[in-house]
Amino acid sequence: MSKEIQKGREHPLLMLADQAYEVFSSLGFEIATGPELESEWYNFDVLNVSKDHPARDMQDTFFIKNQKEKVLRTHTTNVSARAIEKAGKEGNLPCAFISIGKVFRNEATDSTHEMQFFQIDGTMVGEDISIADLKGVLTHFYKKMLGDDVEMEFRPSFFPFVEPGLEVWLKFRNRWLEVMGAGMLHPNVLRNVGLDPEKVQGFAFGGGLDRIAMVKWDIPDVRLFYQGDLRINQF
Amino acid sequence: MKISYNWLKLYIPEVPKAEKLRDIFTYHLCEVENVEEKEGDFIFDINILPNRAHDLLSHQGIARELASLLDIPFVDPTPKYKIPESKPTNLKIEIKTDKCRRYMGRIIRNVKVGPSPDWVVQHLESIGQRSINNIVDAANITMFDCGQPIHAFDFDKISKFILVREAKEGETMTTLDNKKVAFNPSNMVIADEKNVLAIAGVKGGKIAEVDENTRNIVVEMANFDPVSVRKTAKQLGIFTDAVKRFENDLSSELAFYAMREFSALVLEMCPESIFEDIVDVYPQKQVEHRLSFSADRISKILGLKISDEEVEKILKRFRFEYKKSPHDKGDLEGLFEIIVPPLRLDLTIEEDMAEEIGRILGYDKIKSKIPKINFKPKVNETYAKINWARNKLLSDGYSEVMTYAFRDKGEVEVLASASDKKFLRTNLADGLLESVSDNLHMLPLLGIKSFKDLKIFEVGTIWFPKEEIHVAYNNEEAIIEKSLDEFCKDMPTNFSLEPSPIEPKDSVGNNLETKFKMWSIYPFISRDVAVWMPEGESSEKLKKILKENGTKLLIQEPYLFDSFTKDGKTSYAFRLVFQSYERTLTDTEINEIMAKITDKIKENKDWQVR
Repeated sequence: MSKEIQKGREHPLLMLADQAYEVFSSLGFEIATGPELESEWYNFDVLNVSKDHPARDMQDTFFIKNQKEKVLRTHTTNVSARAIEKAGKEGNLPCAFISIGKVFRNEATDSTHEMQFFQIDGTMVGEDISIADLKGVLTHFYKKMLGDDVEMEFRPSFFPFVEPGLEVWLKFRNRWLEVMGAGMLHPNVLRNVGLDPEKVQGFAFGGGLDRIAMVKWDIPDVRLFYQGDLRINQF
Repeated sequence: MKISYNWLKLYIPEVPKAEKLRDIFTYHLCEVENVEEKEGDFIFDINILPNRAHDLLSHQGIARELASLLDIPFVDPTPKYKIPESKPTNLKIEIKTDKCRRYMGRIIRNVKVGPSPDWVVQHLESIGQRSINNIVDAANITMFDCGQPIHAFDFDKISKFILVREAKEGETMTTLDNKKVAFNPSNMVIADEKNVLAIAGVKGGKIAEVDENTRNIVVEMANFDPVSVRKTAKQLGIFTDAVKRFENDLSSELAFYAMREFSALVLEMCPESIFEDIVDVYPQKQVEHRLSFSADRISKILGLKISDEEVEKILKRFRFEYKKSPHDKGDLEGLFEIIVPPLRLDLTIEEDMAEEIGRILGYDKIKSKIPKINFKPKVNETYAKINWARNKLLSDGYSEVMTYAFRDKGEVEVLASASDKKFLRTNLADGLLESVSDNLHMLPLLGIKSFKDLKIFEVGTIWFPKEEIHVAYNNEEAIIEKSLDEFCKDMPTNFSLEPSPIEPKDSVGNNLETKFKMWSIYPFISRDVAVWMPEGESSEKLKKILKENGTKLLIQEPYLFDSFTKDGKTSYAFRLVFQSYERTLTDTEINEIMAKITDKIKENKDWQVR
């Protein structure tokens, strides 16, 4: 028998993450990384989520014992915020960042909910970055990930860190799915990271990577990703 | 929130058909959860967005919004409300907390509590509410119609005056639905001289309940601090339609309209009733806001050219009072200034108007484009290292897993968790070892020959207690774990900027045909078959026999795990794995299959089963 070492098998989510990074990199996005245990400032305050917002309740967010004002990040938007803050300080505008990573929500698990899952989050800031650019970038991304016949819709929505706020829907295999929250960065967010909303504007988006993997490959249960079971590595 | 189509139609007779209305909501306002056809009506279950909960948790609110969106007439009901004659009052209301912005009260005497007229019952039932009695129903109808929560007390059960105050530690009250609650000073209550009558903005108390013997009522239209109401409701575990409205911050101006509507309703249902003057304590008067914006700026945010004329058309449709300053500098578009309607607490900055105009036009009107900007991305060192580590391990034959970040021991503990694992992992090794032992039980299913061939790795974050990225992999039962930096110390520094997927694909969308195959939860049985065949004969012939006779219980392709040649003969050893998606297999049935396979093999005269 051949002595050649057989290649190991990739985890499907990380395989998908690499594909997503590739698509965004080709558009000029820079890969950004950041901490999973995050300050409340970068996870919430910077993003215009007020102190008494329901999302900050104990039921949804993991707070840390004996570490005041620390949380397990509930999205990777913290990475986007840190990245545009740094880019602003270093004079690297316009800029675009993409980050994919583990996020945490304190909720009961079932086939579509996990306490840890993967989020893909991106932002682009410049002088006249608009919703037209947001639509273009996300449409390009989903067509690359799920095929050219994917249909996209952008519907009105609300998130504290964007204004206008949008929900991103797509039609895949004849089913409409909500895949992302998005919008134009709220002026408070720009101010919080030291940028001047009179001079720059930009978009931000975020959504689950697990969701894309589940619809793309027809994976029935999100929990299968995190059980250390090699049978999930089928691709 | 449930919205009745027929109810809306009272205010917007030209409302489009239900199917069309669904799209209007979806593309211009908010998500529609469900539409149900019910006794000649359509009930829309819609998710009003948090920033519009100030003004849209009501039929009139939705009707006004639709009238503006669709540019169809809105029939204002207020001129039709009968205004009762009113007599001087002795009602005393005092607010002793800054969490109550307004408290409007009115005594109505000589009411006759009884069943509601049919149309009231119908309206309430259409949106899933229950009719209780005419007074309570009038309060509920008014809330679902204009958005203001209302509470009616039995005036004869109240001692002297109405006081809005903080609760005292240990004070208690029994709610209308007989739940006993205990307060602390962070709760706001409505009280009289002796007792707590209601939890402000949350729920009424039993003590001043309106029942069939009630003759005189005092009705409350108040405005409470949203955070206070939300926190109290949460602490007490009581969620009502009133809470839902107050916690989203209502306009204090709404109370006036609600009082007019409620009074007219009571007058209609109880013509004999005697109305006293309204007592209006309004310590925190809502201030009028103005908002300026330009069509130019809105166009820049949306990425869609909007003209002054289009803006004006929209402002008129939405009945915004506005001023337009003249073009002052050449090509600069004029500046608009609107007086924000009192209920539209969501409109505070220019970007809010961009959203307003964007959603009214529909975001589909904005043409997608890819920005042509020469970004200058830099290499992310952490990602480059992770990528290098994964590539290295994968090409060394290790397969990748992700295990849970939560463990039952550790250095960093979460405060509250829906699970019993409250600590963040201090290493990857513990999780990886569990993964090794779980996978070890199914080597045949994984097509892995022996324990030494089971190779697993994980790259992930640990907290010891400092957050750090680690790399761990196994050597049978031993786990080798290193920090990412240490693992990557031999990484060349000329790595490329572009991410390099392990197996580059022409187009990442090209493997859409591949589907995940869920595994069976039942145990599998594995059997090995070894056969001597004349040297030079292909193992494929044997494999074909195994596949054809393995039945559908053969869960995967038989795989060759050993072969050697001796004395002109070659021995091929295949492993067969049997498993059912429906049940646990028995040895007996597998023995039968194996016997049949052996018979088939024996049909080849020059083969010998080992």
